[in-house]
Amino acid sequence: MARQPAKEDPLIRMQKDLKRAKEKDQKTVRWIMVIDQAKCAGCHACTVACAVENKLPPGVIYRPVTEHEHGQFPNVRRSFQPRPCLQCDNPPCVTVCPVTATYKNAQGVTVIDYDRCIGCRYCLAACPYGARTSDFAEWHAKEVPAVKGVTAGGEWAAAGYEEKPAAEYGEAWKPRSRRDSPVGNARKCHFCLHRLAVGMLPACVTTCVGRATYFGDRNDPQALVRELIGSPRVMRLKEELGTKPAVYYLV
Amino acid sequence: MDKIYNKLIVLAVAGLVVGGWGLVDRLLHGLTPVAFGSVIPWGLWVAFYLLFLGLSAGAFLVTILAYVFGQKQFEAAAPLAAFTVLVALLCEVQFILLDLGTMHRAFYRFFLSPNPASVMFWMMVLFIALLALYLAKTCLLIRGTMVAWAADETRCYRGLYRFLSFGRTVYGPAERESDQRLVKRLSWVSLPVGLLFYWANGVFFAVVPGRPLWNSALTPPLFVVAALLSGGALLAFLMLALRGDDEEGREAGLGLGRVVFHLLVLFLILELTQLFVASASGRPDAAFALERILSSGSGFLFGFMHLCLGGLLPLILLRGGADSPKAVAWACALIVLTFISFRFNFVVADLAVTRLEGLEPFYVHARLSADYVPNLNEWLVSLWVVSSGVLAFALGTRYLPVSGPLNGGQSHV
Repeated sequence: MARQPAKEDPLIRMQKDLKRAKEKDQKTVRWIMVIDQAKCAGCHACTVACAVENKLPPGVIYRPVTEHEHGQFPNVRRSFQPRPCLQCDNPPCVTVCPVTATYKNAQGVTVIDYDRCIGCRYCLAACPYGARTSDFAEWHAKEVPAVKGVTAGGEWAAAGYEEKPAAEYGEAWKPRSRRDSPVGNARKCHFCLHRLAVGMLPACVTTCVGRATYFGDRNDPQALVRELIGSPRVMRLKEELGTKPAVYYLV
Repeated sequence: MDKIYNKLIVLAVAGLVVGGWGLVDRLLHGLTPVAFGSVIPWGLWVAFYLLFLGLSAGAFLVTILAYVFGQKQFEAAAPLAAFTVLVALLCEVQFILLDLGTMHRAFYRFFLSPNPASVMFWMMVLFIALLALYLAKTCLLIRGTMVAWAADETRCYRGLYRFLSFGRTVYGPAERESDQRLVKRLSWVSLPVGLLFYWANGVFFAVVPGRPLWNSALTPPLFVVAALLSGGALLAFLMLALRGDDEEGREAGLGLGRVVFHLLVLFLILELTQLFVASASGRPDAAFALERILSSGSGFLFGFMHLCLGGLLPLILLRGGADSPKAVAWACALIVLTFISFRFNFVVADLAVTRLEGLEPFYVHARLSADYVPNLNEWLVSLWVVSSGVLAFALGTRYLPVSGPLNGGQSHV
């Protein structure tokens, strides 16, 4: 097992790490995520929190949790693997974008400029982890019909949630319509940059009931994530492709 | 000929009307009506794009044969070839624009924020270059006749012919020689541009990491050969169908048929080698892609439509009936009509390969499924685009001197 802080809740420690990182020269910050699969209970709270935080429509997902069964009866166990965008240091999605709509920001997060994206979906095909989805302008609730005097219907439900602009990338995106971004664009996890900007940890980190997801600055020797990636249990997905993911798994 | 023209016009207009319903749906509702999603991000429209990409290679092939290998009999096919490229490029760009999530940005984003590291950016550059080259070439090849037609008071649309004469009112030997020199120069320029364009389309797929069939050094040459094959077959068919009665046209068509035979052999060798290497690698993802190609619906497309109707039968017809215009025309028509099955399987099979184990069962949404079958909207939009190409082709061959024997003193180069 990886070394864990004895007294302090990891969330408190990560919050302090985040505060320290925010006070640094931002060019020296390198955000990474560590996911302890031994602690992940497969509750999907992170998936739901992410969808709510970013107001994701149906068919768009940033952080699925895959489930795996190992062994044979009676020696069977299950494991869970959350898969955010791996924010690769050498991302194939960035190279293939014909209009530089997707790029690495100074802290190593791969971002999408929604106002540049032409929606060619080449990045979706190029991502070896299936971490990108396209927004096909679908609605959870809006198109659910109302029964007059009996149910409020989708319009009412959508007004309180789906029609509110998402805060991704720190911008107030227009209420969803079939013509405005991010509809028609590629979409992906961005480590909740809008939350980091105001000193909050990503939504998937704060909602993880098993404290299985860790986040912080790889270049900070005091950061919890820096300790964790020193563990012999560390692995990264599909290392053979040379993508150098910034998401580490403890297996 | 009038009967064929009338039928083509009726078919094209009917296609535009029926397909128009799908097009309006697509334009009003964005990509919501389509069946592809995030796991299979490209579908029927990209397969059609690739089909028309190949069909546009016919002129490239004729250029090589006529001006690089000095095969004079192919010069007769040059105006038709150049015009066919324009129509194919028109269809190609429509398919790809309609496939984009935010289509309007494609018109300026490529120029405002280009990424030279992306193959797709270079495809766009080469596409524009090819379009400009063949537009110029078509105009130069038919200018002599345009000048004559503009001066002919018995003809309708003289204003159009005057416009297409680009200011020339007299077309003597000196003007002809000047145009011929230009056509020859453009032909030499179009060689590397065309080769790079078809190569780049192969590289577009080959550079995608972790895709077992695409991610191969064989993909770019396969794309070039596939393009030359389908484009050559289309031109051979058109030459024999439109100009089978005159000897010059028939000779050019039969000659192209012989080239198509060799290209078909080479294409099948390359394609089967690629599949064999993927199969022999023992990689689970390659096995999945192959299984997808050979399974039920796709298996029918690959085995029956592509290999039998588009491969074996044309091989027999082209070998056994090399001197028969009918046999060659049938063989080439079969190749062109069934080539969409190769393009479709090539695009969809690799996309269906799961990116991470366990991802599929978690993804429970139509947009996140690896099962893809084109829906009515995609077929209707495809019908509209193909019909627009048929209409442009029919009108062009009717009102422009692209399919008749070289006239107006245009025996170029």
